[in-house]
Amino acid sequence: MAVIQLVLLALIGLGAGSLAAALGTGGGIIFVPVLAVLFAFDQHVAQGTSLAVILPTAIVGTIGHARAGRVRWPVAIPLAIAGVVGGVIGARIALTLDDSLLRRLFAVFLIVMAARMAWRTVALVRMRGSSD
Amino acid sequence: MVRTFIAASIGVTAGFIGGLFGVGGGVVVVPALVMLLRFSQYEAAGTSIATIVAVSAAALAVLAGNGDVDWLAALLLFAGAGTGAFLATRWLDRVPEHVLAGAFTLLLVVAGVRLWL
Repeated sequence: MAVIQLVLLALIGLGAGSLAAALGTGGGIIFVPVLAVLFAFDQHVAQGTSLAVILPTAIVGTIGHARAGRVRWPVAIPLAIAGVVGGVIGARIALTLDDSLLRRLFAVFLIVMAARMAWRTVALVRMRGSSD
Repeated sequence: MVRTFIAASIGVTAGFIGGLFGVGGGVVVVPALVMLLRFSQYEAAGTSIATIVAVSAAALAVLAGNGDVDWLAALLLFAGAGTGAFLATRWLDRVPEHVLAGAFTLLLVVAGVRLWL
């Protein structure tokens, strides 16, 4: 990769990280399309790289939340064990899919997430309207 | 017992979505904990992040085993995202949340359409 691309990656991470933190959403939903569209990564590599960013981020986040007493372990532990099973199944299925098919499935997933965020935007605007 | 079963069901679903799409699975866990187990938003966020560690580690192991990870790109994104998360608490507070949510919606639509084409 050229130096300009490396700098761009760090800057995109900066933007995505700020937005994700401010909205309380994960970064993966931004990392995957950025890598796939702007950097022309294969869909599979975009997803694998996104996971490699999410893992350390989530570890840091867990430490912070655990210290603040916001992790309910009796629920978190079965969730995590089941999450490993689901994660392996999901990732194995992703590997069997053709790159262009996986990309289109991801596009549908993004539109569903966009609909959810649009609903939240409308709710926020209404809340402001009623408080004015 | 019932709660453990519900938690396990949420975990499998979140893991599946997270593994299939290379995201953490928080999109499934947070609303499910709030709706099904009556968690507060704060506890849902905290508990969900612990699940994301498990989901992303499991899915990453599968994809990395297939050579589908660009470690240099991941390192740079991580460095940028960590700094961004820190800065967000300082300057994004001044931007109204509905503007951020609206901008994010638009970003997702554009990315979704572009990926489909």
